[in-house]
Amino acid sequence: MTVCGIFRAMTLRGIFTAACLTAALTAQVTDRQLHEANSANWLTYNGSYDSRRHSALKQVNVSTVDSLVAKWVFHVPNATALQTVPIVADGVMYVTQPNEVYAVDARTGRQIWEYHRVPARQKGPNRGVAIWRDKVYFTTPDAFLVALNAASGNVVWEAKLAEASDGYWSPAAPMIVNGKVIAGSAPGDHGLNGFLDAYDATTGERLWRFNPIPKPGEPGSETWAGESWKAGGGNTWLTGSYDPDLNLLYWGIGNPAPDFNGDVRKGDNLYTESVVALDPDTGRLKWYFQFTPHDLMDWDAVEIPVLVDATYEGKPRKLMAHADRNGFYYLLDRATGKFLHGSPFVKQLNWASGLTAAGRPILVPGVEPTLMGTKVCPAAIGAANWMSPAFSPDTGLFYVVAQEGCGIANKSTETFRPGGFQYRATGDVEVRDDTWKVYVRALDLTTGKLMWEQERIGSTGFGGGLLSTAGGLLFSGELNGEFVALEAKNGKALWHFYTGQRITASPITYAVNGRQFVAIAAGSDIMSFGLLK
Amino acid sequence: MKPILFAVLLGAASLVAQPPKPSNPLGDAPAVAESGRLLYNRSCTSCHGPDGGEGARGPALDFAGRRYFRVSEAAIFDVIKNGIPGTAMPASGLADNDAWRVVAFIRNIRATASDLVVPGEEQNGMAVFTGVGGCSRCHMIRGQGGVLGPDLSSIGAQASLNRLRDALTKERSIPNGYRPVTVTTLKGEIFTGVARNSDAFSLQLLEESSKLRLFDLSEVRSAVFSKQSLMPHGYDKSLSKTQFQDLLAMLSRQTRTKVKATLQGENEVGR
Repeated sequence: MTVCGIFRAMTLRGIFTAACLTAALTAQVTDRQLHEANSANWLTYNGSYDSRRHSALKQVNVSTVDSLVAKWVFHVPNATALQTVPIVADGVMYVTQPNEVYAVDARTGRQIWEYHRVPARQKGPNRGVAIWRDKVYFTTPDAFLVALNAASGNVVWEAKLAEASDGYWSPAAPMIVNGKVIAGSAPGDHGLNGFLDAYDATTGERLWRFNPIPKPGEPGSETWAGESWKAGGGNTWLTGSYDPDLNLLYWGIGNPAPDFNGDVRKGDNLYTESVVALDPDTGRLKWYFQFTPHDLMDWDAVEIPVLVDATYEGKPRKLMAHADRNGFYYLLDRATGKFLHGSPFVKQLNWASGLTAAGRPILVPGVEPTLMGTKVCPAAIGAANWMSPAFSPDTGLFYVVAQEGCGIANKSTETFRPGGFQYRATGDVEVRDDTWKVYVRALDLTTGKLMWEQERIGSTGFGGGLLSTAGGLLFSGELNGEFVALEAKNGKALWHFYTGQRITASPITYAVNGRQFVAIAAGSDIMSFGLLK
Repeated sequence: MKPILFAVLLGAASLVAQPPKPSNPLGDAPAVAESGRLLYNRSCTSCHGPDGGEGARGPALDFAGRRYFRVSEAAIFDVIKNGIPGTAMPASGLADNDAWRVVAFIRNIRATASDLVVPGEEQNGMAVFTGVGGCSRCHMIRGQGGVLGPDLSSIGAQASLNRLRDALTKERSIPNGYRPVTVTTLKGEIFTGVARNSDAFSLQLLEESSKLRLFDLSEVRSAVFSKQSLMPHGYDKSLSKTQFQDLLAMLSRQTRTKVKATLQGENEVGR
């Protein structure tokens, strides 16, 4: 049925007369668009499959950023600390909070539609949607994957990821790869074993499931003592990356459980605290690299794997850069998983004296959670966390939000209880002295060398992530509410806007009708900025 | 002191405790509600409108946008028997059993369609929806259909049967977000659809093809809104009696809920 058809039908009924048009094509986000980085759209959680969060847009640049002004604010009702990363397709922006999706005119901020899920379990955060063809996809606090019609917000299908009554939920933005929706789970601190699923994006049928905790007899199961694998954790609560040429999906895996007491789970506890490379067609494991074997500090390795092609030791390599919660910056060969380089990106790191040639941490004896408490640096919150890093091909720098600080870490003999209860076996008390500081740091891609840093003065924690643009800018949302543009090559602050709310989300950029916008979720609002004229 | 205090509390509790509210001794079967409707139309329409609609001096009893304070069977019975002091609502003088019949009728017209037993074949109703009725061109049920009109996946749980019937048979006002509009741009392009949202500066147009067009009104020569809904009516005449009843029955059984919820999302996963 065309526009022409329906309006002609109405005319026959004597109701409505209108000019008759050839039907416009339905808005579609194609696989090709998903493969192309740097369009006017922002189509995936980290802007492109390689997760560089680098946009080719440069209308807003080091020379014009002075004229960057707020264009609109969209208030998300009842939100407090949004972590949603807006997705923008053809002038429509999609933002979320737990159980809710909003479609907004990306030029004006006016709402187009909203979706509210019932029954609504209270569990957060939600980090955003994925988009493909005429649907948007998001995951819910009751562990469902929901497909909505992108034009109307109507529910098209729902797929159950896991049992919410067991304690499962899902906060991460899904990812679309070749017509499949990739979605994961969250409750690693509850002793529930994680998964990474692929669903047919058209029908919602589950196509494969990767289990990060191997079952007895499977490779890796020997790294779990006794029955400890049964409550092993290993969840997938952030979004991964994808290399179309290698056809490999990269995803970070969370902490083992119980978080702070490893006595009951002796062994390396694969594939927790690892990045896994999967065949997106089958979900089969191609390779893995474990950053923190037998982790005792809840240092989830879910931080975004950033894919860069660059010369390393004289040869062009397909690289993966990853700043881990454990305080080390890693460079891997993403075709094979081979460790190439690792170095600390925080100064306060006392649990390991370095990495072996294979990338395994060299442990400092005794620096681990104890019954009486031991000072461990970084703290459990980590040197990095969910706030996305960025990479600029123009500067060759890898940008990361780095938390300096330590915690007094304790362990206990807590045992697992089914039903979604926490299974952490205690935690740490952050040492909030004058060494507790947050920085935006620029690292040389291949050496990890600190090239510049900018302190987020007045912030008591991470805040939001980073966005690099071809305009030579690095956008940074601070926990204290400042939204800042730094000069990408040297970290000099060129522009700032005080949003009045804590920022815990990553910024994006997009263009509508040739005009560039920069947007970020701040507290309970989505704010979008553009040049004055 | 403690035993005395306990006894005092017990005594207070027994004073506070209310007897269970009486429920309708005649039940709420369709026949009871229908007898109540006839009684209501004889006894109450000097103020209220017929069949529970709005009257010259009394409000409608099933108006969707109105919040009613008397909703339980006992509360409605009390109003019929005793009136509402300080208002024009008098005691009706109906005998108890007749008052209960009217209670059944009022509860019936306020019920959502899914609460009622609506005769008709659901499967045939769906065939009408997607076929001769043309409903699915604009409406979606569980992922199938168009987007120009509201999603009907939970309409049975949202609307009363009267409202459903009215929507299919009477011309009604256009809900926000569904007003037909024709937009002519400065370049002379013409677009038609419904205006999902508009103000003095922008307009969101949704075409039947699901294409959203977002206009800055500085780029628009004219936006002409229709005062008439795209929703056809008169289905009771254009469909056979069986087809109409099957369609009504199918719609009454659509109960996938879509209700607004309030939530806060501040927990930090992974911490």
